[in-house]
Amino acid sequence: MHTLNVTLNGREVTAEPGMTILELARREGIYIPTICHEPHLAPMGGCPSISSCRICIVEEERSGNLVTSCGAFVTPGMVINTDSQRVLERRRTIIELMLASHPDSCMVCLKGNRCLLRKVASELGIGLSRFQRIPVMSTIIDANPFIRRNLSKCILCAKCIRACQELVIEGAVDYFHRGFAARPATAGDSPLEESECTFCGTCVAMCPTGALIESEPLYRGTAGTSVQSVCPFCGCGCTIRLKVKEGRVVRVIPNNEDPVTRGALCVKGSYGFDFIQSRDRITSPQLKVEGRFEAVSWEEAFNVIAERLNQIKGQYGSNSLAVFGSSKCTNEENYVLQRFARCVLGTNNIDNGSRLTGTPGLMSSDPASGFFGATNSLTALEKADVIFVIGADPTVAAPLAGYTIKRAVRCMDAKLIVVDPRETRLVMFAEIWLRPRVGTDLILINAMAKVIIDEGLHDAEISEETIGFKEFTNSLGAYTTAYVEKATGVPYADIVKTARQYATGGKAAIVYGNGITQYAYGTDAVKALANLALLNGSRSKGTCIYPLQKENNAQGACDMGALPDYLPGYQRVADLRSRRTFEDYWGTVPAAAGLTAFEMIKGAKAGSIKGMYIVGENPAASFPNGRFVSEALGSLDFLVVQDLFMTRTAKLAHVVLPAAAFAEKEGTFTSFDGRVSWLTKAVQPPGQVYPDLDVIIKLAAKMGHAIAYASQRGVREEIGKLVPLYKGIGYGSPEEPQDQARAIDRLKPPLVYRKRPDRMPSFYLTNDNTAPVLTTKEYPFLLLTGSNLYHFAGGTRTSRAPRLRKYSFNAFVEIGEADAERLLITRGDRLKITSATGEVVATARITDTLPEGMVYMPFALAANPVSQLFNIVLDPERMTPLTKCVSVKVERIGAHE
Amino acid sequence: MPMNKPATCRAIDMGRIKEIVMECGGNKWALIPVIQKIQNEFGYIPPEAVTVIAKGLKVFPSQVQGVISFYAQFYTKPRGRQVITVCRGTACHVRGAESVLNFLEDRLGIQEGETTPDFEYTLDTVACIGVCTLAPNVVINKQVYGDMDLEKVQELFKKGE
Repeated sequence: MHTLNVTLNGREVTAEPGMTILELARREGIYIPTICHEPHLAPMGGCPSISSCRICIVEEERSGNLVTSCGAFVTPGMVINTDSQRVLERRRTIIELMLASHPDSCMVCLKGNRCLLRKVASELGIGLSRFQRIPVMSTIIDANPFIRRNLSKCILCAKCIRACQELVIEGAVDYFHRGFAARPATAGDSPLEESECTFCGTCVAMCPTGALIESEPLYRGTAGTSVQSVCPFCGCGCTIRLKVKEGRVVRVIPNNEDPVTRGALCVKGSYGFDFIQSRDRITSPQLKVEGRFEAVSWEEAFNVIAERLNQIKGQYGSNSLAVFGSSKCTNEENYVLQRFARCVLGTNNIDNGSRLTGTPGLMSSDPASGFFGATNSLTALEKADVIFVIGADPTVAAPLAGYTIKRAVRCMDAKLIVVDPRETRLVMFAEIWLRPRVGTDLILINAMAKVIIDEGLHDAEISEETIGFKEFTNSLGAYTTAYVEKATGVPYADIVKTARQYATGGKAAIVYGNGITQYAYGTDAVKALANLALLNGSRSKGTCIYPLQKENNAQGACDMGALPDYLPGYQRVADLRSRRTFEDYWGTVPAAAGLTAFEMIKGAKAGSIKGMYIVGENPAASFPNGRFVSEALGSLDFLVVQDLFMTRTAKLAHVVLPAAAFAEKEGTFTSFDGRVSWLTKAVQPPGQVYPDLDVIIKLAAKMGHAIAYASQRGVREEIGKLVPLYKGIGYGSPEEPQDQARAIDRLKPPLVYRKRPDRMPSFYLTNDNTAPVLTTKEYPFLLLTGSNLYHFAGGTRTSRAPRLRKYSFNAFVEIGEADAERLLITRGDRLKITSATGEVVATARITDTLPEGMVYMPFALAANPVSQLFNIVLDPERMTPLTKCVSVKVERIGAHE
Repeated sequence: MPMNKPATCRAIDMGRIKEIVMECGGNKWALIPVIQKIQNEFGYIPPEAVTVIAKGLKVFPSQVQGVISFYAQFYTKPRGRQVITVCRGTACHVRGAESVLNFLEDRLGIQEGETTPDFEYTLDTVACIGVCTLAPNVVINKQVYGDMDLEKVQELFKKGE
């Protein structure tokens, strides 16, 4: 390769073309101070830095020029001096000029040792500025509980503006005015809570001074240690750094070294960790005696559980027991838990919480892509040319995926197609926005496929590379123009335009979410999407599918076989050979497929399930028809719940075991795109709390069936051996490369992806049995549900994070302007929403994002769960309940409180 | 001079603003021409136009605001029907621009940069308009009046009223 010869501090070095002086110096181990420079912010192909702070100046000795090294490219023959007298003098002047308008509040500044201005000043030996002080007044008052702005400390480096516009693409702030009056401001110079700001905290982490800091209830100062971990909320799997001081996690900041998150997080990731230190944590095992819980020792709790479970097993048989694993627990815990269910209890009645949301997505893209879950990484999503988002609002449900899509559109000129009845935040980035009738996604997708085939826009080699193309083509005959238009309500011309854009736009990516999977017959829609991907999915083009998952380890829990019909690695329980592999390690594995989560609950109600062991899930609050679920769980002979908090489900239990939070244990999480990331123990669990893994192993021993693992490492090694997807990715297989072996010792966990099997993909035939939810005279509104940016799942954890709770706690319902006017509803009114199953009360918010006759209410508000409106209606194939849309009646019951 | 209704008495015609935005094809690069056009028609950029412009051109409202606040040529408050600009260039200053400005401030009851409550007059200053031979200069709307003194300014008012 062509290289350049330059002189750097008197040494001859070679540089690659396109390298900046700063990059060269860093490669050569020469330190140049920087403040405004941030590698994650460099837009692809654009200027590497905006050089606004000028502190990284170096001297080019041939010309005598001082140039900013972060933005200047190396040219042949340069003679660079990074610390000449002239350079150092100028740097001092720059810092002193910054300090001349900076308050002397370093002693109590929350930025503490994270402050780059302070760091560079001390490196240059500057205490106070010799210039006349011109203080800048900060007059902003933000009421939000997340971010404090103190612009008297702002040095105008524009990192916050660039983070907002180039990384998370919210655009809440930009420069306002110019010259001395310039400062970053929101539109209308309003407080953050009235702007587009989503409080992701990325700008706070990047701000080099105390101008942007976390709003913390108590002065916490600089944290002592910092460990790497993984965010415990959505399926994006962002790695984070936990800042620990005196045995407490005091702060979470993005992991700047993660090439996928690139230093960004969302509001839950940045400020949702507070639940770890909640006073509501259960700190010792609780045994229910005469209707009241009493704290007991682990020994006593184990004795009771072992005795009761063994007794039920003896009396009613193994299949009267059921285990509900958690999509929030680690891979290792889920792996051991399913072994516990299969080998200790002797039943395949094991399922995990992702049944509620994503499991159909996990399952049915299987034969088409040969892969369970997303078919490519998030990094590849950013490089797609066409992104097709259907039934998902990633900006809320999976913020990192949302950032990625927005970046692809804004920075890489990707074309975005959004299919959603609501005007989500992504719509403003979209080239095409289709608004089909609720529940007609399948017809729309198949109609697109028909257009692509009719116009010959599919891959030429499709017949050779796939199975079943002919049958699939024939099955689309029913999708005539008239039928499609009538059913979906979308003009056919728009569908044609969309299909053409999708098929001819280049490398395509399909992103779908709960809007697809939580419908009855959602599985068919997922199959239709897989077909759509196949049509233009030749290897060279590589169309990717991304099923967004709600929970941090939904992917991992399924990979680890916490499923009634699959062993770890999606090896069918019914298959003798797969069973044999595991039986060599574990002993007998039962052959009959078990019950899914909802079948267990129905079984409990019917009396066929007698005992249940629930780990880290709260079905009584998060499942539809909570009353029915509570009754069913309440009627069990014996219920064990292992959780962080005394949840609604835990209250029904006979024994409640405390659990360790993500920061208190080790293990791995698998993100929805297959990244396996490592948790590091940051703090000790409170009271007598142990990680779930230890609890399950000890309980198994108590029940007379030892599950022998030496440690975490033992579990990992077995997973590495028995789960093909996880072979050789730092799970201790013999041939693992050096760096992965190091990963086990947590020196520096590398970014690892689980593997994908290679298979011949085939088309699906879909049943066009969509059952659209219809409004009636009694229930004239369609209520859509979705995720909530500030709360998560059932809200068990986020409602105990004080800052999230403070900002957003009351249940709200969005209603369109026209409907609100008709019903005389104004913002803040209390509304009663009634469905055939139940009712909830919520505060009204008026919006222009909804069509007439539709209301929207997010999940995850524990106080008044919207899930109460739904009855248990299951997808026939994957047994996921319909919780996306229901017909309701809306009544105003009171004015603003 | 014809007596138009002052700018603010008119409700802002948001439909027209949308039209202007759409005329420019919804392209990001059209931001400045769009803002100029709106200012030409309305006399200033109504704050409520910012979100409309942002949506139409697919940029963020904060970015639109950033551009508007960067350029001195854009106004976010209604301007008077007559914009009086006093040149404060060196030549004008030497020949008495200061007293002309003071006189105007007294006469109109406003400071430089302000607009009279009836939206008749806006008083501005400028660094130099380039006709120093005629100093001191006053510009009313786009008409330059050179070689000013207090009496001549008085005269102008009489003519205008």
